[in-house]
Amino acid sequence: MKKILPITNAIIAVISGIFVLLGYFFPGVFGGIQSTLIGWAIILAAFALLLGIFNLAMVHWKKIASSKSGNINSMVLLISLVVTILIVSINGPAGSWSLWVFNSFQVPVEVSLLAVLAVILVYAGARLLAHRPKWNTILFLVTVLVVLLGSAPLFFIGEITPLSIVRGWLTQVPAIAGARGLLIGVALGTVATGLRILIGADRPYGG
Amino acid sequence: MDQVLSSITNYLGVLFILLCLGLILFYLLSDRGRAKLNLRSIQAFIHFRREVDLAVEAGKRLHISLGRGSINDLQGGSAFIGLTILDRCARAASNSDKPPVTTSGEGVITVLSQDTLRSTYRSLAAEERYDPTNARMTGLTPLAYAAGTMPAIHDEQISTNIFVGHFGTEIALLTEAGERNQSLTVAGSDSIPAQAVIYATSDEPLLGEELYAAGAYLGAGGAHSASLRMQDILRWVLVVAIMVGSILKLLGILS
Repeated sequence: MKKILPITNAIIAVISGIFVLLGYFFPGVFGGIQSTLIGWAIILAAFALLLGIFNLAMVHWKKIASSKSGNINSMVLLISLVVTILIVSINGPAGSWSLWVFNSFQVPVEVSLLAVLAVILVYAGARLLAHRPKWNTILFLVTVLVVLLGSAPLFFIGEITPLSIVRGWLTQVPAIAGARGLLIGVALGTVATGLRILIGADRPYGG
Repeated sequence: MDQVLSSITNYLGVLFILLCLGLILFYLLSDRGRAKLNLRSIQAFIHFRREVDLAVEAGKRLHISLGRGSINDLQGGSAFIGLTILDRCARAASNSDKPPVTTSGEGVITVLSQDTLRSTYRSLAAEERYDPTNARMTGLTPLAYAAGTMPAIHDEQISTNIFVGHFGTEIALLTEAGERNQSLTVAGSDSIPAQAVIYATSDEPLLGEELYAAGAYLGAGGAHSASLRMQDILRWVLVVAIMVGSILKLLGILS
């Protein structure tokens, strides 16, 4: 059984993958079976989400049980999880209480993290020069500075026209050329990854 | 007319996929039994291998962050590379007291990372080492994911963080947590904004296709080396096509 199950998994995955791929190229012939398979995948993904939430609760329950330092955070997380599930179950996802929970807790916490993120990015830019003092680091930082200064009007000075022109050229020509180069690499890599799974060489499903 | 064009595009798409598949199979079969491929040196993978060995010796843990890409769309591709890296890390750290810990921001990726850990330990005849709580889902929105992953970096005696998958700019919070923890951060993503942030904030950035070469560099099997060679050939084909297109446009032949 231990040997048969991985092979069965691989066969199901490969056949499903081939049908979904063919559905993109020949929607008239394989479109129906493709949408059925994707529909099943979405249902399975929803169950996987529930498993993920259960896993999150287990991790934090273990932390509380082991009474390590920082378990107060885990306790807050578990209580919040239970309370939120109860409120959303009773009130519905678009109910006023559910929205109050979202707007009063989730949104402010995420906004404050975004603010921290801005500070971290500035700090990382400054630190980069100390970590990697190379010509490409200097070019990167100078470009960031020019784009930043050219993007918004400055206090008391207003918009600096030459900087805005340079910013426009930087974002429209070298940045787009570079991004397209990176995207071609990413696209080829994604095709290669998909094909490895399709021929059964990579089996991330325990096959 | 539109229908004919659409059919031609579809057939070209199938031809492209078949060409990729043919090249992978060709190199897979022709490289069988051959010595290791000569790959250009990528600093991130050299440091990564060294740090994995050091982590095992020092009894520290590896952290693999798989991002929050869904496998139902393109973003899942980079997470699959993360799963390959997870497999290699679990094998390398099989003698360590501290097995690697994985975090992700999507249910399916969490289940797949648990499955990868389980099948890796099973293949090493060490199933007792498998603990489902070592593959965790830490948050579902980008910032919730970052907020949930940061404590794992601080609390779990992590020596090396590997961020491989779909991220946004929130990855700066994670690389910063790694920096504060004085652990090495190797990071790669399929997203362009995340790559810019990774370049500035991580110790060892993996940019563009470097991320997808991870399997070949870490010895994950012949299929990874074969697909890397396929990518190299097609990249050159695309470079030539872009150059020819540019010249034709410059000459006014292409409108």
